[in-house]
Amino acid sequence: MPPSKAAKGEYIETDTGNKISRRSQIHGTQHIVLGGKTVIQAEAVIRGDLSLSRPATTSNDANNPSTPTQAQNPNTPSVAVNVGRYTYISKSAILRPPSKVMGGMHVFTQLRIGEHCFVGEGAIVEAGSVGSHVHIGKGAVIGSLVIIKDYAWVLDDAVVPAGMVVPSWCVVGGRPARIVGEVGEGYGVEGAEGGMMREMYRVVGRP
Amino acid sequence: MSRPFPYTYISCPCADTPVPDPARKRRSRESSQKSPQKPPPERANIDEKDSTKEEYQGEDEDEEQTFDPRSPRSNFSLYPPEQLLYCEECHQIKCPRCITEEIVSWYCPSCLFETPSSMVRSDGNRCGRNCFNCPICTAPLSVSSVDTTGNAKGPWVLSCGYCLWTSLDIGIKFDKYTNVRSQLQKMTDSTPPPAFDRSRQASRTFGDLKHPLSSFASVDEQSNAREREEASAPQEDPAAPPMGADARFAALKNFYRTQISETSNSPSDHLSSEFGFSSPGALNRLMSLYTSSARLSGLYGGSKKPKSKPPVMREALTASEGLQLAQETSEAETISRLHSPECGWDGVASIEQRATQSPDARFTSDLLPLPVLLRTKRAKRCKSCKHILVKPESKPQSTRFRIRLIALSYIPLPTLRPLALSSSSALPAASPTPDLNALPPLRPIHVLLTLKNHMFDPVRITLATPPVTPGDVATKFEIGANSDVWDEALQGTSTPLSSESRSAALRGVPEAGKVWDKGRNWTTVVLEVVPSTLPGSSAEGGKGDSSGTGTEAAAEAAEAADEHVVAVAKSRQDLDVLEIPVFVHMDWDAEAQLDQNVGKGSKAEEKVTRELAYWMVLGVGRIQPSL
Repeated sequence: MPPSKAAKGEYIETDTGNKISRRSQIHGTQHIVLGGKTVIQAEAVIRGDLSLSRPATTSNDANNPSTPTQAQNPNTPSVAVNVGRYTYISKSAILRPPSKVMGGMHVFTQLRIGEHCFVGEGAIVEAGSVGSHVHIGKGAVIGSLVIIKDYAWVLDDAVVPAGMVVPSWCVVGGRPARIVGEVGEGYGVEGAEGGMMREMYRVVGRP
Repeated sequence: MSRPFPYTYISCPCADTPVPDPARKRRSRESSQKSPQKPPPERANIDEKDSTKEEYQGEDEDEEQTFDPRSPRSNFSLYPPEQLLYCEECHQIKCPRCITEEIVSWYCPSCLFETPSSMVRSDGNRCGRNCFNCPICTAPLSVSSVDTTGNAKGPWVLSCGYCLWTSLDIGIKFDKYTNVRSQLQKMTDSTPPPAFDRSRQASRTFGDLKHPLSSFASVDEQSNAREREEASAPQEDPAAPPMGADARFAALKNFYRTQISETSNSPSDHLSSEFGFSSPGALNRLMSLYTSSARLSGLYGGSKKPKSKPPVMREALTASEGLQLAQETSEAETISRLHSPECGWDGVASIEQRATQSPDARFTSDLLPLPVLLRTKRAKRCKSCKHILVKPESKPQSTRFRIRLIALSYIPLPTLRPLALSSSSALPAASPTPDLNALPPLRPIHVLLTLKNHMFDPVRITLATPPVTPGDVATKFEIGANSDVWDEALQGTSTPLSSESRSAALRGVPEAGKVWDKGRNWTTVVLEVVPSTLPGSSAEGGKGDSSGTGTEAAAEAAEAADEHVVAVAKSRQDLDVLEIPVFVHMDWDAEAQLDQNVGKGSKAEEKVTRELAYWMVLGVGRIQPSL
């Protein structure tokens, strides 16, 4: 969990305090909202380019990254990935907006991640929504349109099948994931398990 | 222990007081004043403070009192800090074993709807809506249309997004996409178990919806219907489909209920009442049977002839009453099906799959979608004083609590992190941080233990470790980690206080047992740990501690730096896990509980000194097998 030693200046720090590794791959940045104080580690991939219902997303990006998306599709949300404050995206994790087949077409919708979340190394997140204080373990796969409520815990290497709902305070694990337990009442308290994101944010990118 | 290193666990004292009844607790508390017992829970005594302190030390010198994290028993008392609660009445840490739970509400974990308690029983503790789990892989099923052209039209099926099973595999389709459970129930109750005749079952599926047997609205109606059917059709008609398991159960239940009402002759007989056999009336009847007929007639030579033989209940005789005879050929059929190429390994239901299904299910094609089991939100009470410790809001989606007395609000939150020697600041993960999963033996490492106080009162802390990890005890300690309530409340994220002790000056030169750093409500101490070599014995020293307001700490701190050798029992699992038991003693001045009126108005004389002592275990890492 602790970040590896960063090369000097590895992280770009934005005005709102996001710390983004230069070695991360962020596509379609105009469709991505970071809440501030978000950490994105090296080799993490965020697919903001998969935001539109048209398969022509990439061309949009190429044409003009600034505005055209909303003009073309006023109804579709222009935000593909929304990440809350103090959320920590570990190395090699992949965030991808969820998709579904609607009316015979393959459309992408929004991926929303709450605050104080942890996304473990190599995890693949395609959820529809992830609450706050959610821990997603190393190597976990969150299927399309999964809903993870606040204070949930996804164990390492779990595969949460598409469409599953993980209630609050539950621990899920396994392939396919099932509810295997509950976290304690103190989970999410600042500094305890589930509440350590501030500290983790603080030390990222320190020499 | 499954957490990644480093971790901290706290030992609940309940492990040593096996029976948590209040009387016993009181007794042990009294006796602990005189005899060195376990770390006595916690006491609010003003004048005896000194004496109890000696007592603690006395206890610590007793070999048996130190906590051994390797002991098989310790697993049962160690909990991560966030799982512990705190009872304000007993002034004690409460672990999940010292509490009782009561259900606040039931909800479906899939649709997050609350189920009223009246329906929980009738629905069999399962979601009554459209939530199902895949019978093959347990992933949630979704209702989707067979029609893939995109028009949302039926028929509808349940499909699994994980293993791609659909209810079409067992020949089930739904007319509507709502109320799937009741539709499914109607189909399965009155159709034969799918195993026997797939084609007929599929064709019958929808016709069965109007089958008289499918109505469970009234049992009488049903039995009448069955009698009528019985009269019209010969009951042993081999073409008549065997009833499904649920229907059979209902038929049997109905049959026995009528049997009871027919055989009971007295109007006061309660067996036939809706409460059934388990009602108090039933017990009375049984008791009177024994006492009146057997005992008395035996004693008096049977002179009193029992008035009349109680009528005899018979067993179910016909299929309509729920009797099912094993077919002579069924086993052979099953075996031949097992052999058949289209069944194969994958066609046979596994034990896990069968465990939740009807007992007749042998093949994966017999498995039905499972309605999702409900979950509960539970309130928690202290087992000894019955006070509520946790009470969540009943709404399933709410994550708030009406009452939540977690231990973290009362005991200092311990966090452990390795110290990177080369860096000046306290990074958890700077460059030369040792790999905690492979600690080289006999090489000292430094770890930082931070205690953070969440209480509104300053707390004096004493830490102690046994000199030899599992072994006897040298207490060394000091005091530390206090926070002022008001500071905390008023200045959200303020800068660390400048402490009067020299703690902060130590940066860069870790010295075991000294305060490394401190802030407004936290103090960090350095522990030096020397992992032992694995083969037979391991050595390490843990010692360290914190400073505090008190200056008396300093002297003792100096001696805290020794290293210690550990003898480790061989042939134990997780032999290589380096865990350090630490005894924590804290005391603080709390406001007397009775006057809750105004916090500001309370004066010093209203303060009560409280103490709390417990063991905690620091999981430092795993020792490498060799250099």
